[in-house]
Amino acid sequence: MAKAFPGGYFGRALIVDLDTAATEVKPLPESVLRSFIGGAGLGAWLMHELCPPGIDPLEPPAPLMFVFSPLVGTPLTTSAKFAVVAKSPLTGRLTDALASSHFAIAGKLTGHDAIVLRGRCADRSVAVIDGDSVTLTPADDLWGLPAADAERRLRERMGPAWRVAAIGPAGERQVRYATISHDGRHAGRGGLGAVLGSKLCKAVVVRASRKVAPADPGAVLAAAKELRGRSFGPATAKYRELGTMANLLAFNAISTLPTRNFSAARFDEAPALGDEEVSTLRQVARNSCASCSIGCEHIYRGSGGKNTRMEYENVFALGPLCGVSDPDAVIAASGRCDELGIDTISAGGTIAWAMESAEAGLIDAPWLRFGDGDALIRAIEEIGTREGLGELLAEGSRRASRAVGQGSEAFAAHVKGLELPGYEPRTLQAMALGLAVNARGADHNRSGAYEVDLAGGHDRLTGGAPQVAGAIETEDRAAIMDSLILCKFLRGVFEDPFAEWAALLRTVTGWDVDAAELARTARRIVIAKRLFNLREGWTREEDWLPERFLTQSLELDSGRAAALTPDRLTGMVNAYYRGRGLEPTGVPEPGTLRELDLENMSQFDRGSTAIREN
Amino acid sequence: MGTAKAALEWHGSTLLRRVTGIVGRVVGGPVIVVRAPGQELPALAPAVEVVEDAREGRGPLQGLAAGLRAVGDRAAGAYVSSTDVPLLHPAFVRRIVGALGQDEDVVLPEIGGHPQPLAAAYRTRLLGVVEELIASDRLRPAFVFERCRVLRLSETALLTDPMLARLDPGLSSVENLNNPDDYRQARALEPPEVNVERFGTLAPESGPRRTVVAACTLGAAAAAVGLTLDEHVVAALNGDQIIRDPELPLAAGDSVAFLAADAGG
Repeated sequence: MAKAFPGGYFGRALIVDLDTAATEVKPLPESVLRSFIGGAGLGAWLMHELCPPGIDPLEPPAPLMFVFSPLVGTPLTTSAKFAVVAKSPLTGRLTDALASSHFAIAGKLTGHDAIVLRGRCADRSVAVIDGDSVTLTPADDLWGLPAADAERRLRERMGPAWRVAAIGPAGERQVRYATISHDGRHAGRGGLGAVLGSKLCKAVVVRASRKVAPADPGAVLAAAKELRGRSFGPATAKYRELGTMANLLAFNAISTLPTRNFSAARFDEAPALGDEEVSTLRQVARNSCASCSIGCEHIYRGSGGKNTRMEYENVFALGPLCGVSDPDAVIAASGRCDELGIDTISAGGTIAWAMESAEAGLIDAPWLRFGDGDALIRAIEEIGTREGLGELLAEGSRRASRAVGQGSEAFAAHVKGLELPGYEPRTLQAMALGLAVNARGADHNRSGAYEVDLAGGHDRLTGGAPQVAGAIETEDRAAIMDSLILCKFLRGVFEDPFAEWAALLRTVTGWDVDAAELARTARRIVIAKRLFNLREGWTREEDWLPERFLTQSLELDSGRAAALTPDRLTGMVNAYYRGRGLEPTGVPEPGTLRELDLENMSQFDRGSTAIREN
Repeated sequence: MGTAKAALEWHGSTLLRRVTGIVGRVVGGPVIVVRAPGQELPALAPAVEVVEDAREGRGPLQGLAAGLRAVGDRAAGAYVSSTDVPLLHPAFVRRIVGALGQDEDVVLPEIGGHPQPLAAAYRTRLLGVVEELIASDRLRPAFVFERCRVLRLSETALLTDPMLARLDPGLSSVENLNNPDDYRQARALEPPEVNVERFGTLAPESGPRRTVVAACTLGAAAAAVGLTLDEHVVAALNGDQIIRDPELPLAAGDSVAFLAADAGG
């Protein structure tokens, strides 16, 4: 008699060949699921298994994965999430973007813990996944539509039980930071939409047809009720009442708001974009993701009457980072990014680089200037259509700056090719390390090191041992939250996170997992991602920040200068490596691989990595 | 006074807690308190270090030697303060410390024609000189100044610093308490005015989020706007450090931003 599978899992991944619509099922051993859980963790394992080494992410054999998790489908608040995982066309490294929507539940209940797309459709198509079968249907009538419109048409055509993940025009044109969207949410970072677009696939459509039960349904229900109660408490008040937009003025007050392509950390016109101005005058609704009791979505109406979901990262990237203070322009720009299917952070970062380059006379775009809202929207439009300057900017700031040269690489604000989020690294030096070493690139979701900086207790302008320890700890916590998956906005309600997460996983799976095992799992996931990047050619030079941050200081109102020197960053990176069990080259020590059962993932040339000398 | 000056209360704090806090806000390194052997001290911030005079009753040079010895392997210079200066302003400390260049051993303010050796900055390398003077019973600070390079700063010179001129134009930073009358007058002073701004969910539902309050400590400023510094609330002082310590002393002109502790995405 076959052994019963752990609760919350199907134990299988569906692999779809888009050339032929053929499918195969890849069994997922219980040992793998227990070692990598789901979401971003299981995605890292699958990438090692299924992604051909050295592949161009936009070539047909490159896989694109929708990876679910054991908590999906349970009543646990914020658990209706999934990870989209691929080799990023923007960074050439592993990327995993999470999103919350009914697609997570319907996708998992196709009967799979992951759906992997490979190959390329013969024509523009929609991949319809129903159980183990896949049908490719023509998408000519959908091509060119925003993702939300394509989703609406498909659901009208197929019925409300079907859930859709789709790309916009930017994904079709393989803009390297195009998104995949569903229920108005986006798997945003790293260009996953470009990967789907490269496969001539406009959308993936799924519906629930199977069931999967947790190991202890009663305990899960009780845990869900208790967690839901906590989710209404003060730890989530900010997200519920104001949304992440509340960060803008607070960050401005502490010189942490990246402004005019990181040339400053305070934006004098920030109040025009702050929650007081925008929320009071323009907010029209509040929404929740599927299965979420927090309700962080705050919807705003622009001057044209269009409603747009606004978050801190949209506003920072398209506002202060580009020097734009007109809220109508920022709302319109954000809405246009959503329609085209573009990551707002990378769009803002790349445009801000272009504005600085244009003002310096390095690129021929006299219309493009900091502070010009019309220019911002024009740039977004050109990126989404790859017309005019958009052909260059669609490549992201790293490739664009290399193409332009003339020293413009120094102010392209990216790590590993991924544009920086809205956290100034010179005034948040734990975050500086988190941004530098993360596998995905400059990222605030896989590294929450800013929590260390903003918690008080350590000098946020002087990175050292406490910042390194904090960066490792927050990275570990993110690895588990991104694999279970639970929304990070819930993180403040857990007093003993690893123990509480282990308890949730026990009730769902039936495993006797504890906090210590989960802490080891976190380390395994972080190192597994690093190993994938190593296999793809990562060197230590990539765990670094752009020159601007290491050569230009910022003056604070207190009179202190915020400076991050190469020596200090080198010291923090070295300490991070030691803390993670890595060699000075950034390569995992053999003992680390043994301890984490990752020896079979070490397909890289240990001698090929370089050591930075500073 | 009837009570050791260090323990004298001033607007809800002690003089020693206040002075160490003000100095700590400015200097980049450790803060050292030198006490007489066995002297009881009021509560201090956890980071403050305490050392003892080798011998009691030997005057300021004995304390100076103990302090320089305690900090010498960690800092090239030190700001030296008495404990009875409730109006000490961070801008004053910053002005003195900032003037200590490579060509000076001491930065010595002279106010009203009087040198202020206990409101001055010293190179820690002077420890040997100070110890020699103590050994030869030459216990006045003036003997130190005879043997090193001293930058003397008059009121006019001090107030060329625009921040100091704005925040402590009368140089009250050096006004010490020599008798009960001085203390009474100091206690009668209003707490300093500080600017407070509340962000996010801490902002009032109506009315301005910015206000001016009279508060000597961070906790008092929070209370003045109806907040408590707990696990959900932190403060940023002058746009710089994130702080949770309600005892942190505030000075005139400070700006305090109260933020939700879960700031971030």
